[in-house]
Amino acid sequence: MKAIVAIARREAAAYFAGPIGWICLVLFALLAGMFFSIMLVGYASQASQMGNMGQDENVTEMLLQGLFGNLSVIALLMMPALTMGLIAADRRERSVELLLTSPVSSAQIVLGKFLGALGFATVMVLTTLYVPVALALMGEPDPGVFYASYGGFVVLMAVFVSIGLFTSSVTENQLVALALGFSINLSVWIMGWLGQMVPAGAVKSVVEHLSMLSHFEQLSKGVVHTNDVVYFVTVIGFFLFATTQRVEALRWR
Amino acid sequence: MIEVQGLTKRYGTNLAIENVTFSVEKGGVVGFLGPNGAGKSTTMRVIAGSLGASSGTAKVAGFDVAENPRAVQAMLGYAPEVPPIYTNMTVRDYVSFAATIKGVGDVAKATDRALDRVGLASVAGKLIDHLSKGYRQRVGLAQALVHDPQVLVLDEPTSGLDPAQRVEIRELIRELAAGERTVILSTHVLGEIEAICNRVVVINHGRIVVDDKINNLAAAGKTVRLELARPSPAAHAALAAVPGVESVELTGSSAVVRSDNDLREQLAAAAVPFGLLELGGRERLEDIYLRLISAQGAA
Ligand SMILES: Nc1ncnc2c1ncn2[C@@H]1O[C@H](COP(=O)(O)OP(=O)(O)O)[C@@H](O)[C@H]1O
Ligand SMILES: [Mg+2]
Repeated sequence: MKAIVAIARREAAAYFAGPIGWICLVLFALLAGMFFSIMLVGYASQASQMGNMGQDENVTEMLLQGLFGNLSVIALLMMPALTMGLIAADRRERSVELLLTSPVSSAQIVLGKFLGALGFATVMVLTTLYVPVALALMGEPDPGVFYASYGGFVVLMAVFVSIGLFTSSVTENQLVALALGFSINLSVWIMGWLGQMVPAGAVKSVVEHLSMLSHFEQLSKGVVHTNDVVYFVTVIGFFLFATTQRVEALRWR
Repeated sequence: MIEVQGLTKRYGTNLAIENVTFSVEKGGVVGFLGPNGAGKSTTMRVIAGSLGASSGTAKVAGFDVAENPRAVQAMLGYAPEVPPIYTNMTVRDYVSFAATIKGVGDVAKATDRALDRVGLASVAGKLIDHLSKGYRQRVGLAQALVHDPQVLVLDEPTSGLDPAQRVEIRELIRELAAGERTVILSTHVLGEIEAICNRVVVINHGRIVVDDKINNLAAAGKTVRLELARPSPAAHAALAAVPGVESVELTGSSAVVRSDNDLREQLAAAAVPFGLLELGGRERLEDIYLRLISAQGAA
């Protein structure tokens, strides 16, 4: 347990010690601010036309979900860059040999790195906390919606981290990991659009079940269905397991 | 303390080591010697548990590395050829990270002790990125001994260092090897082994060529070199006539005499009539090593 925490802390600290972490953090915060401003202006002009500014009960829901909807696409593009080095750089720099010759299991290494990167991703998400503060000043935000949106988004980040961690374990080359990460993220995402195109039936329900988008929509609405939870736990678990297998294989090159 | 039995490792079809067998008793300090590509690093990785063998076993303190790697790693420190460092960490953060994942009880204390030990206390707050190669090598050593392991496996700890740094690291390893600690040290520099180790294992083309005490090895080839002012067939005959001489090679003004025991006194007497200018001592370890390596290469 101590080892997992130490590995997680080291990864999180490494993001603050290098350029990629800061670039992602600042870019994410800036883009979030930009999306929020645009949406706020749009909402304000709409509301003033209808003359009910601040009266709408769903303003929190609308703005937060809109914001995180946009940010989820940003995360999809950004997380492969944030995670590409998690294992690939360790292999390239040989520092992986410290981990492999210490009395820690491959699963502990993988879990530590996962939690470290997820911790940093959570810090990225927390840079948007001024949004609910602003909403609270505007009216009465629904705390349930707040928790659901943030919780749902962190879960989504966890999915991206697990995918990125896996791609980083496949190769020593970070750019290959990056490209692979994009590809997997996009395919998982696109599944949702496919689902909308396919006519109703068995195929549609399968595709929709695999689609991250539809599960994410449910979660961020604050609707926690067992099947959505199962979906995310399965996806994250699958990629963490596959990564553990890859790390184990490093010992048997 | 270390028992390596029939170890073989293939990288694809490339046979890196073949049927490597040797053992090191508790407290032993063994030099692992061989040219580049001989299979030193491969063997050491298997012992340290970062690489699985194709066949054969490696045991440390009775634990099979493949079956019980955590038990072995908890008591073994391994410094790979390239230090396994994170350059964006400070020296202290790195060593304390290593201490934590190695399961050390008092991390702060172990970190301080390791930094002191390898002479890094004064640069503890520096980023590893800003250190010279010699200091990075020390960071690699600090990582290996932070959990005060009973066994140290050091892969070419002085490679790429300048002569002064080399001497410092060598001195340090000699200190580390004192007492009950078991050490395997690889190198392709012989002087290092003479200075530090009490036993040598020579590996070439993935196979063990020699496994012996340094003293025995040096005694095995008793060769005397004589410089003569008047070399001649008569001189050759006179030297060859000394009882116990096995062979005499005369090239130019120098004669190389091989024998089973030390015949320097008798040889000197026999050579005086031919103008003995100089009598070289026994064959150096380096020459023995080169002879072994080339003999095996030819076989
Ligand atoms: N990761 C690897 N993949 C393929 N071949 C390797 C690898 N590591 C070492 N080898 C090969 O195995 C042999 C032994 O290498 P090594 O153990 O590094 O020797 P040494 O440390 O004595 O220089 C060499 O022929 C080398 O090319
Ligand atoms: Mg080597």
